[in-house]
Amino acid sequence: MSDEIILELRDLSISFAGKQVLDRINLKVKKGQIIGYIGPNGAGKSTTVKIILGLIEQYQGDVIVFGQNIRETSVQYKKRIGYVPETGEIYQDLTALEYVTFVGQMYEMKAELIEQKLTDLLELFEMKHVLHSRIETFSKGMKQKLLIIASLIHDPDLIFFDEPLSGLDANSVMIIKELMARLARSGKTIFYSSHIMDVVEKISDRILLLNNGTIVADGSFEELRANREGSLEQIFNELTGFDRHEQIADEIVRLIHGADHDE
Amino acid sequence: MMNNTLTLKILDRFSGLFKVLGADYEKLRLVLGFKLMMDKRRVPTIMQDSRQKENTLLTPFVKSLLLYAFYGLFLIPFLIMGDAYLFQLSIVFTIVMFILMTSMIADFSSVLLDVRDKVILDTKPIDSKTLSVAKFTHIVIYMTQLTGALLLIPLIVSIVIQGVAFALILIISLIFVSILCIVLTAIFYILVLKFFDGEKLRNMINSIQIVLTVGIVVGYQLIARSFEMIDMTLAFEWQWWHLLLPPMWYSAIFELILLQNTSLAMILSALIAIFIPLLALWLYFKLMPTFERNLQKLMSATHTRKQKKSKLMNGLSKWLCRDQKEHAAFHFALTMLRKEREFKLKVYPVLGLSLVFPFIMIFTLGSQETEIDFHFSYLYAYFSVLMIPTVVYMLKYSSKAKGAWLYHVVPIEDTKTFYRATLKASLVQLFMPIILVQSLVFIYLAGPIMLLHGTIIFLIGCLFTAICYLLVNKGKYPFSEPFSFVESASTALMFISMLIVVIFGLIHFLVNLVPIGLIIYAVVLMVCNYLVWRKML
Repeated sequence: MSDEIILELRDLSISFAGKQVLDRINLKVKKGQIIGYIGPNGAGKSTTVKIILGLIEQYQGDVIVFGQNIRETSVQYKKRIGYVPETGEIYQDLTALEYVTFVGQMYEMKAELIEQKLTDLLELFEMKHVLHSRIETFSKGMKQKLLIIASLIHDPDLIFFDEPLSGLDANSVMIIKELMARLARSGKTIFYSSHIMDVVEKISDRILLLNNGTIVADGSFEELRANREGSLEQIFNELTGFDRHEQIADEIVRLIHGADHDE
Repeated sequence: MMNNTLTLKILDRFSGLFKVLGADYEKLRLVLGFKLMMDKRRVPTIMQDSRQKENTLLTPFVKSLLLYAFYGLFLIPFLIMGDAYLFQLSIVFTIVMFILMTSMIADFSSVLLDVRDKVILDTKPIDSKTLSVAKFTHIVIYMTQLTGALLLIPLIVSIVIQGVAFALILIISLIFVSILCIVLTAIFYILVLKFFDGEKLRNMINSIQIVLTVGIVVGYQLIARSFEMIDMTLAFEWQWWHLLLPPMWYSAIFELILLQNTSLAMILSALIAIFIPLLALWLYFKLMPTFERNLQKLMSATHTRKQKKSKLMNGLSKWLCRDQKEHAAFHFALTMLRKEREFKLKVYPVLGLSLVFPFIMIFTLGSQETEIDFHFSYLYAYFSVLMIPTVVYMLKYSSKAKGAWLYHVVPIEDTKTFYRATLKASLVQLFMPIILVQSLVFIYLAGPIMLLHGTIIFLIGCLFTAICYLLVNKGKYPFSEPFSFVESASTALMFISMLIVVIFGLIHFLVNLVPIGLIIYAVVLMVCNYLVWRKML
């Protein structure tokens, strides 16, 4: 890991319909780091990523990517960014080759190189047979693998993974986990946003916990665990002030039984 | 890979223009190339009755163009029949504008409102201006092809019969008409999105469709009525409100140039014809950045208020449904019919037409006589019955058809429950209000006897709904098949259903000639309905 700052957020704030979604977030990310970005639903994780990627423009504060303020620079900084969206948006009418060719050409890659890389990558994911198949016929896991391939095909330096393991089988999960570690070792910076705590715990160099629009914890898993006991999930519960899961589960069971009796 | 090379090559000729507009042409070309490829695989609404097949030559889009070319043939008589340009071309432009606007709203709203673009494209190194221009160009390419298909043959015929000058004015007018249609739709969306949320806009698209369909039919009537046949020639008296009818603006250009009619009305109309589209275009490019920002609203979830079940629907449901399960399926179907946008997009324009068509027929035919005779006007309400096969047929489709697994896991033995409830919901939600409105108008026009006629037509509608179901959808679940696989209902079946409506109408007419025949007929229909709905469904 080098000391070069790849991404910096300065007093980043945004509100939607009167609700403060992000409240003066400050952050510096070094080259080669794997950042685990966690937080409860609605904490502002996806919003942060969307702002950095230029999907949302009405924010306060500054976003500095590769040393340039994205408000002042052109879209060229995006050439060095890869993104796997949480929502899995993809042009389903295209075939795998057509889609990835389209994405690769956006990054000014040559079509032949894209096809070569894609064929090899699909083979590794045991999906080579769907190169010319329409994406609408793919399973959820296959679409997810294709999105991951499309996000990496142009060899980006900063990669945003928003729930990348969604829909993947156990083998693919192992591949992606290993892949993230190796990419970071080769100098890529990874911003990994997820709800799967044990994966975040294992692969992240640094964990950021976002709650109600502010970062409430920042450090490696070991640092977060100092003075505390348990897994990342337990730390998460403690820091987000959520410890009612047992009580709620009891309540649900009671309600279900109650509904039965009403019948 | 790309089969749109011709379109793109033509576009290359205008690359300078795109650069002037501030777009990155290379990226724009790339985006458009892929967008056009995806379009070829989409099924346009006009072709909704055909199953999508892999056919490189006759893609759904090419087929839809052929259909437009066929529609275009109907324009030929209006283009060549003489030099009453104001009349003839007003009709032509009404039809053209109707086709362009409906196609724009049904097929190209998705392009204007595509938010997938935001996640897929905005994260790539392509600037927002290029994306905006690409979006506009995409629609222009489509509209050019569509207008071309519609008017190529009429244009050739008009060159031969009316001369080159006529054809040239026609081409230029068509360019302005197309710009007007695209930009007005876009500006409307821009304004709606500025003040409301995305959910509201999505819902409004349906309303626009109905308003547009009805508006154009009524507009056509207004135009036709502005002209009177006197001694076999068309007489026309200009009124100020003619300035509100865009087709009149463009026909005025012909009148002005070819017939040297330099009256103030013609000059004013011709000027409006040119300046309004240009003004709209300027406004469009000015508002576009705000629009793109506001499109974000389509991505965020909006909270809808809990809707209370209406007491009327609750009461009807209790009366119409056999048990608790059917009652639940009935309310589910009501909600789906209200909220399933794609269903509404395909069915509501038909509903709008079936509501107004009887009145248009009455007044069109009536105007030719000195006094309108409403005595047989009830027969026109049978136009509303004609919509039933389309509605019943479409009930098995949904854009979220995968949710139909639910039918298979719930413990309901009588699988007909779902469709029966859905048919009842469609009658209550769609057919009943139309018949009610028509009956009220007919009662006002022709007296209380129309209440009996309305009741009979409603009972026939109920019976016909059951018959249509048994003919076309027997054994299927409602909302269980995706729209992308909409199969064409066989022409034979549609013909049979129309024949049945004619027979019903004929019986109604004959029964009306017999004293108390109507009451006996109504009772017979009630018994038939009871038997069919009880025993066969």
